[in-house]
Amino acid sequence: MDGSGASAVPVNGKARTSSPCPPQSSGELRANPVTSASWINPDQPRDVSTLASYKDSYQDILNERRQDWDFVFMTRTRKDVPKYKHHVPRSPEDIKQHVLNSDRVKYTVERLHGEKKTSKAELLKQAEAILDEMAHALSMKSVRGFAFFLIKVFKQLFQRVYVNEEGVQMLRKMMHEYPVLLMPTHRSYMDFLLLSYVCYHYDLPLPAIAAAMDFKGMKFFGWLLRHCGAFYIRRSFGTDWLYWAVFTEYVQTQLRNGDAPLEFFVEGTRSRTNKSYIPKTGMLAASLESYFKAELPDTMMIPVTISYDRIVEESLYAYELLGIPKPKESTSALLKARSVLSDDYGCVHVFIGDPISIRQFSNGKIDRVLHSLEPRYINSVNKDEMKLINDLAFHIVRQQQRHLVISPWSLMAAILMQNREGIPVRQLVKEADWLKRQAYNLGAYVDWPGDLSTDDIIRRNLLLHKNVLTVSDDDMIELKLVRPGHVNKPIKDDILLNAATNLIVASYRNQVTHLFVRDALVALSVNSCTEETMSMDELFQKYSLLERYLSKDFVFQPGQTKQDFDLAILSLKHSGALVIADNFTHISDIAESKAAPNAAIVQVKKSFNKHTTFYSQMFEPFLLAYWVVCQHLLSIPIDVHGRPLPKRAKDLTKDVQKLAIRLLEENAVKHYEILSLDLINNGILMLMDVGTMYKDKRNNETWLSPNSVAVAAVADELGAYIELPSIPISNFTSSGRSLVMQAKL
Amino acid sequence: MEEQRESSKDGVVSPSIAVAATAAGQPPPSSLSRLPVEDQPSSIPKRRQELLKWNGWGYKDSKFILNKNGHVEFTGERYRLSGHVMPHLREWMSKTVGIDLDQKTPAQPELTAADIPLPNINDAFVEELKRSGISYSDDPTDRLFRAHGHTLHEVFVLREGRFARIPDLVVWPGCHKDVEEVVKLAGKHNVVIIPFGGGTSVTGALECPSHEKRMIISLDTSQMARILWLDEKNLTACCECGIIGQDLERRLTEKGYCTGHEPDSIEFSSLGGWVATRASGMKKNIYGNIEDLVVHIKMVTPRGTLEKSCLVPRISSGPDLHHVIMGSEGTLGVVTEVTIKVRPLPEVCKYGSIVFPNFESGVSCLQEVARQRVAPASIRLMDNEQFQFGHALKPEVGSFLASFVEGLKKLYITKIKGFDLTKISVATLLFEGSKEEVSAREKKVYEIASKFGGIPGGEENGQRGYMLTYVIAYLRDLGFEYFIVAESFETSAPWDRVLDLCRNTKDRIIRECKERGVQFPPYATCRVTQTYDAGACVYFYFGFNYRGVANPVELYEEIERCAREEILASGGSISHHHGIGKIRKQWLQRTVSEPGFGLLQAVKQYLDPQNIFGNGNLMIPDSKL
Repeated sequence: MDGSGASAVPVNGKARTSSPCPPQSSGELRANPVTSASWINPDQPRDVSTLASYKDSYQDILNERRQDWDFVFMTRTRKDVPKYKHHVPRSPEDIKQHVLNSDRVKYTVERLHGEKKTSKAELLKQAEAILDEMAHALSMKSVRGFAFFLIKVFKQLFQRVYVNEEGVQMLRKMMHEYPVLLMPTHRSYMDFLLLSYVCYHYDLPLPAIAAAMDFKGMKFFGWLLRHCGAFYIRRSFGTDWLYWAVFTEYVQTQLRNGDAPLEFFVEGTRSRTNKSYIPKTGMLAASLESYFKAELPDTMMIPVTISYDRIVEESLYAYELLGIPKPKESTSALLKARSVLSDDYGCVHVFIGDPISIRQFSNGKIDRVLHSLEPRYINSVNKDEMKLINDLAFHIVRQQQRHLVISPWSLMAAILMQNREGIPVRQLVKEADWLKRQAYNLGAYVDWPGDLSTDDIIRRNLLLHKNVLTVSDDDMIELKLVRPGHVNKPIKDDILLNAATNLIVASYRNQVTHLFVRDALVALSVNSCTEETMSMDELFQKYSLLERYLSKDFVFQPGQTKQDFDLAILSLKHSGALVIADNFTHISDIAESKAAPNAAIVQVKKSFNKHTTFYSQMFEPFLLAYWVVCQHLLSIPIDVHGRPLPKRAKDLTKDVQKLAIRLLEENAVKHYEILSLDLINNGILMLMDVGTMYKDKRNNETWLSPNSVAVAAVADELGAYIELPSIPISNFTSSGRSLVMQAKL
Repeated sequence: MEEQRESSKDGVVSPSIAVAATAAGQPPPSSLSRLPVEDQPSSIPKRRQELLKWNGWGYKDSKFILNKNGHVEFTGERYRLSGHVMPHLREWMSKTVGIDLDQKTPAQPELTAADIPLPNINDAFVEELKRSGISYSDDPTDRLFRAHGHTLHEVFVLREGRFARIPDLVVWPGCHKDVEEVVKLAGKHNVVIIPFGGGTSVTGALECPSHEKRMIISLDTSQMARILWLDEKNLTACCECGIIGQDLERRLTEKGYCTGHEPDSIEFSSLGGWVATRASGMKKNIYGNIEDLVVHIKMVTPRGTLEKSCLVPRISSGPDLHHVIMGSEGTLGVVTEVTIKVRPLPEVCKYGSIVFPNFESGVSCLQEVARQRVAPASIRLMDNEQFQFGHALKPEVGSFLASFVEGLKKLYITKIKGFDLTKISVATLLFEGSKEEVSAREKKVYEIASKFGGIPGGEENGQRGYMLTYVIAYLRDLGFEYFIVAESFETSAPWDRVLDLCRNTKDRIIRECKERGVQFPPYATCRVTQTYDAGACVYFYFGFNYRGVANPVELYEEIERCAREEILASGGSISHHHGIGKIRKQWLQRTVSEPGFGLLQAVKQYLDPQNIFGNGNLMIPDSKL
């Protein structure tokens, strides 16, 4: 057993070994002897129950359910359910009535009546319709029924669902004192089901969940979710002021009265890539406006991190990222997903984070007095507050990331992505152990059972993810092709099939990128340096530039660049990855060098080592994708105005993908990830962000055209960090920019 | 000058006396335009220390003590509560703020001359003052008595420490002319004047700036306490500034009139002080606040005497200079004479009370009463904490019958009406006017109340409620003996923000106490004490047990600062009637805008370029050392 791994050893070793083996769980491991995973049999993997039901303050909440009757659980009395202390009991119908009669809605109706000449009665009818579409109908009856169903599903899917109970106790206390916003990570549909279930399990009030419209369409489930607290919001409502008013009041009144904790996903949507999305601020702004206007003494935001060993939608995501359309949410699709139920999805960890008080977070940063001069029902969030909300949103995502539980498989995926041609199990074990230690050093919690050998752990995880890999007889691990279940006609194209597998594995690697990204930016800068030494200032400049390029794919807290950089330098230095010499020749200079730490210089050659190489390579696909985006933009023919032809963003994305496919076909590049529409799109967004694109509004759509000089400059910059295709890129695009090149795809 | 502490008296100038006066059958005297009013000695002697506590609130003979049975008793015979034992109070104190009777913090013994710093005498000034024949004193206790108001930290200094700076001389001008003379001499010799009226300031306004190197004189107006004339035709009275509220009302009552201005500090505060702080009286719904009452003001400034040339009800002559004088807090000059409106005594004064199921419904009711403009002379709403406190202050129930009735009342409210005793809130009412007016108003108010779930709670409870305010002022001194620091502060807010403001502020106080290591739950409570068309005045009490805390006063002030921040953020004002003084200066510019603040400073600069009235209040910048 590795020393550093000991920190993950369950506190209570005895409870682990003595924990009873529930009969149901024996079926969890479906090691099929005839599959390619048959190698595992001689190892005799232990039963699920060998996973501790309690470890490092995490408690498995499925364990009890495996031992009693679900029906009893469903009908039991909920005791001491905490309520906000100023709560006045209301039914969902009362809430709707309140919204319709609220000053905010009345004011908006008056305003629109004046502007649009629509009758007030008509506007009120519209408001009512919006509300009917939106509002939840939370009822304990439905919740109980749903819980009965959920428990069965969870027991099927998961081995264990761990929850940090300290977090629950704290949450219980908070819910009494202040209105609470539950802000979970969003990587699966399971997220809100799990969180509601956790609330039910611990006798906490069920949250009202802001859900996207897609669910509403589902016949039975749409109805059921509504009765379990989901309320539906349109994805965007631009200048529909009536919608704004109804939505804002609906959210705020529930918060003010503490009817239910409010749950929403700060990332806005499910992350298809398994890394945190750049946060959205709309819901947060709507929720916090009440505090800014002093309608509430405080509001507590609870970051919740839900970590999966294996994500139920993994292959759906991969095909979606490749542009193969996702099926519309429907009940029948869900039933088809029953095949999903026969699979093993490992464990889930739910971490309820420390509450963030908006009062404390905003202290000294905003002036609430500014709202004294106008009625509070007129929507207004000022610039300082918007900035604060933005910072806060990033802060929350960073808090969520801090408590992600790193599964061994994520580490393995990171290694596999750098060894796509195959890797012996023995080597994977070694590498994974090394990477695990790096993750610990960066403060991650790695779910590394202390009582199993590294070899055991690796093989368990290989088994769990046998759908994307094969282990040959001579113990070589290779990725295999995943065929999409939901697409009727089979995809023949090997490129796409390969890409799908790659994207699935990459998505698990993505679960650790937040740990390494800062160190990697330093590593990339150092490894791309052609000089002997590099000054700290230069390094920081490169770091900042890379951060800017990667800021659509990774969450960097605004205004924190220097701190992040310093921390990355420190951690690299301490792990021996970065060799830094203080720039002094005489003993008397020591004092000075302390005063000016930037006088230190990096020894480039000595810093070219396993750490920096591994980290650099982890992020190469991202930079390569951006580079490909640039190349495509540079190949766009020039129109009569001497500017490249404008295109719509989505067409641009598709075109870049075509170029990427050609590059892969020709073996010019090896990273399948560059086919990901998400990645390509982030590349385009980044280029817009750094000011290299012209934007036009036509028919309410944004048309983009590149500023070729600026894009070329970015491409050159990016090129310095990555291995470029050996074949000249012009073979794939066009030799000169004036030529039209039609990709034959 | 000084500020009003909201703490009602009961008994001294209660309306019952007023009623008695009319009931005595004195026919209203035939209208005279300048009725002379004979001089009477002031209730507060020139040597204040003979009557008043040196390190606490009010009369020496009146205080809360723990009697030999271990129960709280109120001494003396001035008040209705005097001589009574309050059997529930001790338990209430230990339950709400964690008082432990074995843990005492006695005050230091009375300071003697040896403890009081030597005066810094400007000989030339004193020489000329002596020649003018105006009364003055450099007696150490005289000076110490005028070195402070009743702000928490001031009283704490008296109990535990020493003032860094106290006035060097006390001067008692006898009339307007004397004041002119003193101000002229002060200007000539560059001596600082701090006007002193009743000494009830709770904003640190009377404290001497500690860095002041010049000689500081305390200009005590107590010897200018005459009613110069009473004009029954125009219903005005011209009074000297030093007259104490209770004297003014009593003497007008003898003539069949009143001003109706009854701030809770009326026993001790002076007319000049009311003007200088923009005071508010509890019966303002009928009589108006001080700004509605004054007809004419004379103020002596270093530039000369500022006054209008006529005694008119309203004037359009540019911005109203009265509003420059009112609230100037002794920074521009001394108010010497005030012509104030008077009213014939009301025929009937009647108390009342309403019990609401909770504070929220009470506020809604008050708002509706204000909206319909049917407010009685006074209407105040206590939150549940204060209701509980009022309950704890109930004296021993004498007879079996009385306690039986008490029990029945409680049964009715909790069982029949279904009120929760830990939620209910009580409004106290005072009606004034003719018999018909009062009964019509009563009917209307109770009708509105019933719409908000309020039920009449009886006259007795109403009257007790008004007593409560004044009691807290005395009670604070008892708290001081047992590790309690407490203080009150007020604000005004628009109606739609009142509830949020109350809840946020209380929450903030409790949270700040917790986060700053206060070991016991604090006592934070509020009342709505005045209603207006556009909003209300809210009054907070806040105290905590500081056992285990190193620097209670500093901590208290920090938390009060937080509470004020919360009030401002919740749309409340910097102050409704206490004023700015020194403790709220930090928010003044934010409140009145930068140009507004500059304007105040320009006024100061013109009227008093030498900063003779250098008490450091309001817009006067804190001087660098």
